Amino acid sequence: MTLAGWEQLLFIATVTVVTAPLLGRYLAATFRGGKAPGDRVFLPLERPVYAALRVNPESSWSWRAYAAAVLAFGLVSILLLYLILRLQGHLPLNPTHAPDMPPLLSFNTAASFITGTNWQAYEGETAASYLAQMAGLVVAQFTAGAVGLAVALAVIRGITGSARTVGNFWVDLTRSLVRVFVPLSILGALVLVGQGAVQNFSGFRTADTLAGGTQQIPGGPVSSMEAIKLLGTNGGSFYTAGGAHPFENPTGFTNMFELLLVIVLPFAIVMMFGRLSGRPRQAYAIAAVMAVIFLGHTVVSMQAEVHGNHLLPTSVSQVVSGTNPGGNMEGKETRFGPEASALMTVGTMGTTAGATDSALDSYTPVGGAGAFVGILLGEISPGGDGGGLSSILVLALLAVFVAGLMVGRTPEFFGKKIRGPQMKLVVAYTLTIPVVVLVLGSTALVIEPGYSSILNPGMHGLSEVMYAYASSANNNGSAFAGLSADTTWYNLTLGLVMLVGRFVPIVLALAIAGSLAGARVHARTRATLDTSGPTFAAFLFGVILIVGGLIYFPMLILGPIGERFVT
Amino acid sequence: MRRHLVASIVMLIGVTVVLGFGYPLLITGLSQLFFRHQADGSLIYRDGTLVGSALLGQSFTDSRGNPLPGYFQPRPSDAGSGYDGGDSGASNLGPSNPLLIGFVAGVNTVGLGGKPSKTNPFATKSDPACVPVNPQGTPVTSPAPGQRYARNPDGSYVCDPDTVPERAIAYRRFNGMAPDAPVPVDAVTASASGLDPDISVQNALDQAPRVARARHLPLSRVLDLVHRYTSGRELVFLGEPTVNVLELNLALDRLR
Repeated sequence: MTLAGWEQLLFIATVTVVTAPLLGRYLAATFRGGKAPGDRVFLPLERPVYAALRVNPESSWSWRAYAAAVLAFGLVSILLLYLILRLQGHLPLNPTHAPDMPPLLSFNTAASFITGTNWQAYEGETAASYLAQMAGLVVAQFTAGAVGLAVALAVIRGITGSARTVGNFWVDLTRSLVRVFVPLSILGALVLVGQGAVQNFSGFRTADTLAGGTQQIPGGPVSSMEAIKLLGTNGGSFYTAGGAHPFENPTGFTNMFELLLVIVLPFAIVMMFGRLSGRPRQAYAIAAVMAVIFLGHTVVSMQAEVHGNHLLPTSVSQVVSGTNPGGNMEGKETRFGPEASALMTVGTMGTTAGATDSALDSYTPVGGAGAFVGILLGEISPGGDGGGLSSILVLALLAVFVAGLMVGRTPEFFGKKIRGPQMKLVVAYTLTIPVVVLVLGSTALVIEPGYSSILNPGMHGLSEVMYAYASSANNNGSAFAGLSADTTWYNLTLGLVMLVGRFVPIVLALAIAGSLAGARVHARTRATLDTSGPTFAAFLFGVILIVGGLIYFPMLILGPIGERFVT
Repeated sequence: MRRHLVASIVMLIGVTVVLGFGYPLLITGLSQLFFRHQADGSLIYRDGTLVGSALLGQSFTDSRGNPLPGYFQPRPSDAGSGYDGGDSGASNLGPSNPLLIGFVAGVNTVGLGGKPSKTNPFATKSDPACVPVNPQGTPVTSPAPGQRYARNPDGSYVCDPDTVPERAIAYRRFNGMAPDAPVPVDAVTASASGLDPDISVQNALDQAPRVARARHLPLSRVLDLVHRYTSGRELVFLGEPTVNVLELNLALDRLR
């Protein structure tokens, strides 16, 4: 890596280390119950919501009721988004004349945005109306992020709290939106517009170019979507080129700003967990594991991309200099260069955003493997808003159990005994996504509707297909985009995979939380396993690597690792 | 479950109105108030005519698609047929795809019979990585017995012009550089958006002598302009130094 690469990484790390604890403190005050900052402004906005929903904001529910509300809201949201997409051609606010979206593509897109995946099998510029993007996709991006945070709050209450209930979904959802996502999105969107991201309703304008031709200049309410796309760890863009499009990500500064919009909130949620549970050291241990994984996959990719593609002729200069960004520039923007591109793109792979600013399919095998690893380790570096915390807490339970077996003691987490019922749910949680990815991915590789969509030959093609399933199941949404995904097979299977990958883990995490809610808290003794020190953090890191690594290792060998050594 | 569904519908209607309409309209209003130029797309007008956006690259080619020597040329583009603002996107070609790197001996080379081969049977004198095209001009990456290929008058294969080695050859020829002169990588690779407005400083410096010749200007005046339109890294260390092609070419036109 170059000095400029290290500087940008250091910048991201510093800003995150400074801002995440501050934001985490605000989040903890907001969700602790009782008085919270900004009540004078926010309470008058929230009370009418509770009145309209007819919920008592003081009530707290069992995990079953909480999960039922999450599922009901998801179901209704998908239906409405599907209808908007199906009818967009007949609805107003459609200056680009996007036609009604076909049924299967609408299903895929609705599932994709409601689950926070934001896999996009349609062309943003021409196949989605402004109305569909605003009232459909942006709303889904807000709610997906807020639902993730709400579920994490319920999981925290169940695992660490003393009550038998896990909270009130409508209150958590409303407060997340009103006090976190909307204010931050307004700020983020205005910063992006100031830098050059567009925000208008003018449709395509036609420019007469210098050379005597014409060029279509797109418009749209782009910044407002860009902000929540990132803050909600969604990743779905207004335009097809996504975060690489100059109207979404105009400068080297916005590139880093957008990465911060993705990763600060998930880290802040971990800090919030430390405060809410009264064990800040536990949060530091978890955040450290997340940060190490983040640095691992990101630095490896940055290094690989700046090193370049060794198969290009030597007379094509990939050497970095003051006047040449160098490196592997296929599918990358000049203003970002290879390192900042890999930092932004692969950095968001450990969240569920997958907000790329460069074409992953054209990454070197090792650079692309970095993106794979971020996703395959289960989106915990630092993960989606709330989803990352929920996932790593489940993995921590697994680590506690394994450690307990090794030393011959009943495993405990937050003083609560971890027994058979919890472990069954934990195992189901860790196996759901790999089973879906490997079964459907390998099926797609051997049947014609699956492999005929592949663009690149050889092992790279295997990566394209497996990445699509890994990305969908983990609700990431980024793609090795050479794959032609707008087909019956992929729209249907990937749509279903996204739904399974979102809602099954949510229900299981809530069930785990519910089974621990109200469990007897045992006093700490000298023999209690310390789960917040560096030893446990290292152990947790190892468990994550073994679980993720062993399950996916054969696939990685056949894909990016093989490609690295064969070519 | 029924009470959850009813509450969900009420909530969804509320968020659709407030977040689906209120929020984007609020941002639009504020942006139009404070950042009108940016919010409209950083549009550039010349004599009252819209000529493009400072943030979007555009083609500088004649009606037959040949690059105009008097203008600095942007990077290759995969947005539609090139810099199509309605169809952004990348090539998505993998790092060992022959359509990107050509047929590299021992890596992805295939014999005339369709079997993997140690050498490239289509190699030409100037391009050892030549990927042949069929008589319709479509690249042939899976040669097979019976396949027909386009040939040059001297009998050599016609090569796919969009591989990196071929682009490098064309770049050197266009700019009057020596056959083995180094070519900056951004000049021969396509961007992620297909609308990259910038080129690297090296790319601009390599093109400057050709532009100066075509416009009958002293090289120093063109180089002055290149330096004036070079932007450094943001906040000194974010991103890369770049040259905005449209702004530079507009400045060239103003020199007349």
